[in-house]
Amino acid sequence: MTSNPSPSNSCRFGGCTLTGALSVTSHVRDAITIVHGPKGCTHHNFSLLHATAMDSRSIRIPEIFSTGLSETEIIFGGEKALDRTLDSVARLDPAAIFVLSSCITETIGDDVQMVCSIPRGVPVIPVPTAGFLGGPFQEGVNNALIALAGMAGSATTDGGVNIIGEKNLEYEVNENFAEIARMLDALGLSVNIRFVHDLDTDRISHLGAARLNILRDPALVPVGVHLFKQFSTPYILSFPAGISGTLSFLKSVAGACGLDCHEVLENEQIRQEEMFCDFADIAGSQVRLDPATTDPDGIRMVSEVADSLKLNITPSGRPVFLPPDLPVGTAGMRRMLHRWRRALNA
Amino acid sequence: MKQIALYGKGGIGKSTTSANLSAALSLQGLDILQIGCDPKRDSTRMLMHGDFIPTVLDLVRERGETSLSITDVVYTGFHGIRCVEAGGPEPGVGCAGRGIIATFQLLEKFGALSGDVIVYDVLGDVVCGGFAMPMREGYAQEIYLVTSGELMSLYAANNICKAIKRLSMRAKSRCRLAGVICNAKNEPREEELVAEFARRVNSALIQFIPRDRIVQIAELNRKTVIEYDPGCPQANRYRELAARVMENTHFTIPTPIEIHDLESLAIEFM
Repeated sequence: MTSNPSPSNSCRFGGCTLTGALSVTSHVRDAITIVHGPKGCTHHNFSLLHATAMDSRSIRIPEIFSTGLSETEIIFGGEKALDRTLDSVARLDPAAIFVLSSCITETIGDDVQMVCSIPRGVPVIPVPTAGFLGGPFQEGVNNALIALAGMAGSATTDGGVNIIGEKNLEYEVNENFAEIARMLDALGLSVNIRFVHDLDTDRISHLGAARLNILRDPALVPVGVHLFKQFSTPYILSFPAGISGTLSFLKSVAGACGLDCHEVLENEQIRQEEMFCDFADIAGSQVRLDPATTDPDGIRMVSEVADSLKLNITPSGRPVFLPPDLPVGTAGMRRMLHRWRRALNA
Repeated sequence: MKQIALYGKGGIGKSTTSANLSAALSLQGLDILQIGCDPKRDSTRMLMHGDFIPTVLDLVRERGETSLSITDVVYTGFHGIRCVEAGGPEPGVGCAGRGIIATFQLLEKFGALSGDVIVYDVLGDVVCGGFAMPMREGYAQEIYLVTSGELMSLYAANNICKAIKRLSMRAKSRCRLAGVICNAKNEPREEELVAEFARRVNSALIQFIPRDRIVQIAELNRKTVIEYDPGCPQANRYRELAARVMENTHFTIPTPIEIHDLESLAIEFM
């Protein structure tokens, strides 16, 4: 039983490229990330990452350093400050150093790439971020994943499957991963690496060994395309949502790996039917989504669940919550229905 | 305390005019501070007999702000005029505009912004908020435009009018256009043209300074005209300017004109 608080509307994905990239690089356990900017950029992100990690029952402290820019560096340029910070971080002997830029260093035009190219005995990998100038949160995630993919060598396929771009800041990141791992296991497949969730740099070198990449959601397509070009690994667009979504996900994975999934699909349908039996007590209830959704996948998922449980969706119904990140797989729907039951019985 | 700033196109003679104005004001018995706000740092050179004084930002970079005091940044030149150069980052890096803002904050902290008149000599164009600093936050209240009768020079002056108009809308702003100084190229009808331009932007021509070789000769001798040849007619022009600046009470919010109006104005006086 998870002790996670209920997902709410609080948005953890509203930050800039910097937050997005940090949600990736801070999950490389033996590496250190440097944020080239004023120390507040590091502090606020550190606080968010730390608090989020506690939600996921991880007590690992994110390894993030700041170049601590102030007025003097803004006026005269911050390249020397980055150089100094890189030297002192390199002395800590991490497996790799990731360098993220901020709005201010981009505004004054620091040449981060040049400073990162100076040899220091440790791989130094610049990640294009640049705060608000770099784009939204997701751009930072994608840029970080693509930069990290550069660390992977060529590898022979070992038959596993990569999980690409998990939302490390979402409440149910581990539950969602467990559901995907369960479905892969049912198909006789194993997870190669979680790229990137709580892993060491030496595992990144195995990135190209997978037979298939599963993207967390379609916003990661640029990463999927990049990995396809780099390793010829095909990809699946998204984790599944809903009854039919979960079944077609199993079919797509089996299809991409040349596996027969007949029996697995039957078992999954039985699992879904059993789940709905467990919620027979709320069958026939009147509900309404609060807030309403316009996401076509969300609407499809809700109408399938409503059909199966004979729920009546009406403006006068009791409010039930649909998380902005749709529940993943059959287990996700079960957790959602638990919350709906609590709301209906409240 | 009177705080004035001189703005205008690059190379138009702002530093020469500023230095001669400061020298003339000083000889009236006034306590003068001249601040060069251009990374080129040559505003106060003629007042310092040809020396480039250390700039505030060079000192901050080399020694750190905390170890500096007022005596490190303020230098005394001709007739006791106090001179400061803001300086800037090495060309092509960092943010010079932010450097000007930092310089002002530091001078404020040192209590250096004192005297009877402060003359701010600012670089060619108001390229960003930093170089508009003397007009912001209530530093310079009187802005003088330095221009010749050449179209590009008037164009720059008109642009600065836009900045003054924009900044005069700020809640705490007290900056106003105080007049136009014609630093002439000795073109025909130049004085009339610049006077008409000044009228169109809701201001007035405060002094016409003809082109005179004495300026170059004085500079080769590392002096202002006021110091090198106080008896020459050009020195008299600068003294007149100084007197008019001190008497001036005509401060306005400018009305910048459109580029095609500016062009037809120039054609009118060709």
